[in-house]
Amino acid sequence: MSRNTPFTWILLILSSLVLLFILAPLAGMFLHTGGSELLETVNDQEVRASIWLTIWVAFAATFFFAIGAIPLAWLLARKKFPMKNIVQGIIDLPVVLPHTAAGIAVLGFISRDGLLGKVANSVGLTLINNPAGIALAMAFVSIPFLINSARDGFTAVPERLEKAALSLGASRTRVFFTISLPLAWRSIMTGFVMMFARGMSEFGAVVIVAYHPMVAPVLIYERFSSFGLKYARPASVLFIIVALAVFILLRLIAVRKKETHIVPDAEA
Amino acid sequence: MLKLDNISKKLGNFNLAEVTMEIRKGEYYVLLGRSGSGKTQLLELIAGLNDPDSGKIWLDNEDITTKKIQERNIGLVFQDYAIFPNLTVFGNIAYSLHCRNTDKEVIKNEVTRIAKELNICHLLNRFTNNLSGGELQRVALARTLITSPRLLLLDEPLASIDASLKDDIKRTFRQLNRKGLTIVHVTHDYSEAVSLATRIGVIHNGRIVQEGLPDDVFGKPVNRFVARYAGIRNFFRVKFRNEGRSWKAECNGNLVLNLSEGKYPEEGLIIIRSNAISIFKADPSNEAGNCFRGVVKELSPSEQGMELLVEAGEMFYVDVPMNDFKKLQITEASDVWISFPAEACTALPGGG
Repeated sequence: MSRNTPFTWILLILSSLVLLFILAPLAGMFLHTGGSELLETVNDQEVRASIWLTIWVAFAATFFFAIGAIPLAWLLARKKFPMKNIVQGIIDLPVVLPHTAAGIAVLGFISRDGLLGKVANSVGLTLINNPAGIALAMAFVSIPFLINSARDGFTAVPERLEKAALSLGASRTRVFFTISLPLAWRSIMTGFVMMFARGMSEFGAVVIVAYHPMVAPVLIYERFSSFGLKYARPASVLFIIVALAVFILLRLIAVRKKETHIVPDAEA
Repeated sequence: MLKLDNISKKLGNFNLAEVTMEIRKGEYYVLLGRSGSGKTQLLELIAGLNDPDSGKIWLDNEDITTKKIQERNIGLVFQDYAIFPNLTVFGNIAYSLHCRNTDKEVIKNEVTRIAKELNICHLLNRFTNNLSGGELQRVALARTLITSPRLLLLDEPLASIDASLKDDIKRTFRQLNRKGLTIVHVTHDYSEAVSLATRIGVIHNGRIVQEGLPDDVFGKPVNRFVARYAGIRNFFRVKFRNEGRSWKAECNGNLVLNLSEGKYPEEGLIIIRSNAISIFKADPSNEAGNCFRGVVKELSPSEQGMELLVEAGEMFYVDVPMNDFKKLQITEASDVWISFPAEACTALPGGG
């Protein structure tokens, strides 16, 4: 675009409005939060504990569910099987559900009368109001992000590279770990970060499964409903700063992996 | 060595149909066909990447039809090389040895040995992103040869290589073959096939339509498709008739060709190589052969000199050496005479 036509100007104005819509509330919140208020919140043990809980539970949920989600993503990318479209639809279901409804569904599953709840109870574990329950609620609403991103990553790995590895004597397992997984790694990491970020920010499903221990979104809501906007704001700002820092760190780790140029099958 | 017995495979709308062929030990067999003719699918069946719907594959008298790909010991070099972009050149070449849990020292020695053979020692520590086509080809070859395959399958190995590097790679293939390695090479390029093959098979629409020594296949093509591959462009649908002791071929009532002695069907196809036709500015009076007056319609440069399209009852493509072309001072719309011996007319069995 060497010359800005009226059409380009319209595009620029509309794009700026959308960006402003995202940035304005955040900027307002940051500007209304004074340094002393923020420092006080940093020293607030309850706030620190809830942010730490949010981060490690979201990370644990993402990590453990990735163990099953990545093979499922490979199957979706590589294999043809009956009702594959239905399976894909089921995976996307949590994205379209209202999150409180998702929370109710998870609660039913992990309560003492629920299938998983009974199993947990038999080993003396109560999932409700427990970090494990929070992790399940977070994973339920965020796992589609990992599966879909990893599936796209595996789809982009040319099948002929896997075939070449097989013809060189590699087992299917070795091909998966030495060729498919490393080449789909960037997409998998993107999905991992997205699932983690989505899990960390979840409120609706988590609040139904566990009001206590409080994850950061629940704590912010509690401060807002009990003390008002002024008291909720510093906690929100701190959570956003920490979440952004973790998000950027994970993205950096994901991007640091060496760039590899993959020629898709269609071009080959 | 390798025997395919009635191999059939349905792949979407495409069928490999009852492919039967035998490749002897030490042969350089070139499978020639257009893209989409089933060449690559056939290689993948031999390598074990796909299973045939019916038929058997034998290698050294062993039925390998259902044998696992990892146990066939058949090397396959892919058309675009399929080099692993996440590994270095060393990692690529050593891949098969890692699969066999080979000792690290042995891997290092083996990779160095094969890299020396293929002149790629200087590339071993590099990633493959910025390698040239020729370098990638050598890496792919080294990665396959290190497995000491019983049979080497090459899928369009010269398709993505600069013309200047092709001769080097061809030389490497010839050397490997001379050392006793049996090679099956798939290509769509006639000149590649002629320059490398000890035997050629032509595949068309999933069927092997002709097989034999290069001279036999291109000297006596069995149909129009193979003839086109041999660079023949003059095809005439004719009716054959016997006049006393001589045979004639009548072409759409426009032209009567004198044929050599032999047996001809009622109808069929006559092919004439464009370099078998001579061109004159005056009547050369070739009564025993064929001689027609015509007009030059088009001129285009060819490998031999100039290709002329001459309308002489039918359209004839005539290849003229550059010296002759200059001497005759032919231009478009020139009146000319074309002449060719009766022996230059070859009848295709079945009419092509």
